[in-house]
Amino acid sequence: MDILALLPQAGLNGLVIGAMYALMAIGFSLVFGTMRIVNFAHGEFYMIGSFIAFFSYAQWEVPFALTILITVAAVGLAGALMEWVVIRPLRTDELSSMIATLGVSVVLQNSALMFFGASPRPMPDVVSGLVHLGPAVFSASRIFVIVAAALVIGAFWLFMQKSRTGRAMRAVAQDQEAALLQGVDVERIFPFAFGIGVVLAAVAGALMAPVFSVSPFVGATPMLKAFIVVILGGLGSIPGAVLGGLLIGMIESFGATFLGGVVADMLQLAVVIGILLVRPAGLMGRKEA
Amino acid sequence: MKAGLLALGVSALALSSPAYAETLTIGVVAPLSGAGAAWGLAMQGALELAVEDLNAAGGLQVGGESYDIEIVSYDSHYNPNDAVTAVNRLIYEDGAAFIVGPLGSAPLAAVAPMTTDNQIITITAAFTPIAASPEHPYVFRAVLPTEVYAHPQISWVVHELGATRVGALFPNDESGQSMQIDIAAAYEEAGADASAIDFYERGRMDFVPLLTRQIAQGIDTFELDGSPPETAGLLVRQLRELGFEGNIVRTGGDATDAILAVAGDAASDGLYVHMEFDGSLPEVQAYEARFEAAYDDSMNAFSPLFYSLINMVFQAMQAAGTVDDSDAIVAELGNLHDFVGPAGAANWIGEDIWGTTRQQFVPYAIGRVTNGAPEVVAICTVDSCE
Repeated sequence: MDILALLPQAGLNGLVIGAMYALMAIGFSLVFGTMRIVNFAHGEFYMIGSFIAFFSYAQWEVPFALTILITVAAVGLAGALMEWVVIRPLRTDELSSMIATLGVSVVLQNSALMFFGASPRPMPDVVSGLVHLGPAVFSASRIFVIVAAALVIGAFWLFMQKSRTGRAMRAVAQDQEAALLQGVDVERIFPFAFGIGVVLAAVAGALMAPVFSVSPFVGATPMLKAFIVVILGGLGSIPGAVLGGLLIGMIESFGATFLGGVVADMLQLAVVIGILLVRPAGLMGRKEA
Repeated sequence: MKAGLLALGVSALALSSPAYAETLTIGVVAPLSGAGAAWGLAMQGALELAVEDLNAAGGLQVGGESYDIEIVSYDSHYNPNDAVTAVNRLIYEDGAAFIVGPLGSAPLAAVAPMTTDNQIITITAAFTPIAASPEHPYVFRAVLPTEVYAHPQISWVVHELGATRVGALFPNDESGQSMQIDIAAAYEEAGADASAIDFYERGRMDFVPLLTRQIAQGIDTFELDGSPPETAGLLVRQLRELGFEGNIVRTGGDATDAILAVAGDAASDGLYVHMEFDGSLPEVQAYEARFEAAYDDSMNAFSPLFYSLINMVFQAMQAAGTVDDSDAIVAELGNLHDFVGPAGAANWIGEDIWGTTRQQFVPYAIGRVTNGAPEVVAICTVDSCE
């Protein structure tokens, strides 16, 4: 395989992995931006999304588009409920609420282990087959992930820019007190933001389930990457999360293809450290006053 | 991941027997949640099924005493610190007669000095040489390490499948690095070029960039050994997504069910896998059906191997007439040959490798996956596969 075949192969794969990181990181960043909470259970919502997709699409043969809608509704409600029951009573203490999300993460992962077992479950492709472009070979399933993730990120961006609730969430993220003075019902915004944040993780899980399979432990790596991406992009910055996700995905893909796995991992973190040295608040983060 | 949390006792199973019976505690230290749980649950299940059989036969009778078996399990989380905590509790609080576990080299290295000092027999699946070293005479290993099966199996792959240029990915840690040395040396010795090797961080899910690089280097065979089962499944799936049509081989470690689950039947077709035993034996198929009925989950192949060795310890206790004198029990264990278990006849090997004979050997096999199931294509002895 020559360099002309390796370049598009690496580029497309960087987009796939970057899209997943971006989806994960946007939700993580949204929750931190509006509520100042690091949600350690974020990866478990990715896992829940993958299980919902497995049962809905693979077991009960519900169409995939409807499966995504079911995932959005179920995880959105669960997220709002978690905010109401677990996080709201601890909101005045950021540390306690973070520990609470860690506890929820343990409970969710071990519950999945108890109910579904440790064995991974296969998920059939939504779109199957290989696409050949000269000597380069692409999986149709991965191309589908890129398109679907782009649609989800686009829909989320429109919601945040154009809808009244989206603007209210941005206002709360920028300045909670000012938002209150402008009549924004912050108590209503918090469960909404938390619900949407974890929905994005769950949608990432549902989209990636055919690519990476389904098990109680699938959320751990995307969660770790989301954390790195959010720091790189700027805590609380949605555009930063998208940019950071794609950047990490591309470095991971091109680095591993041309330099090998060990060098790629070092390069990835070296770039993150380098960027943070120049821009301590991240690529698009704001300095705290 | 949640390593900061304390190890939790997961289960305690007391089985009924005559009211006057004494209680004999047996411990389990294994990953019962998180990564590695499939292996840990297989070990725990083997002990539970062995105790169930004992109970059905009237309990454990040793030296004129009848013993009521109590199982105390601790989750090691595949973590040396948690394994040490668990073994401490088993020895000093629970008074365990012997321990099933730990799983993994680092946990065993951490607990072996303690179990040796207290003369506690342990049945492990750790691949470190410590498991068979003369310094720890109470440690027995149920499953074969790479150094036993690598040469016979890889020699078969090179000569029967015609492998010439081999690619492989290993976890970037001590375990992966040492396994890479064994595997690459075995391929080179058999006449193949094993220079297309790379490493990855555990937890990685997307291998397409690394595999693209390997395919660009012209490999005709890909070796899966060294990767955890789920990761091996992802590797198979992603190799096929890149259009790789060469041989894919799993030299060691039971991973076939997980590979099939992750990669799917179509991508796994033609995959050559290591089988811990001859899977066509009716006895092991009956054990597998029993395990799956009991736990409503697929059986990891470690389970029948642990079941055999656990029963060997019970038999050695009966022959020695004691449940306390570990030296007498170990001596009786050494006298057991061709012990009939579900996976086949078990014997001891290892004198020429480690200078000890505490490694259980059951004839293993090479399988070729066809229509979602491995079919035995070669049976292996200590020296060769045919």
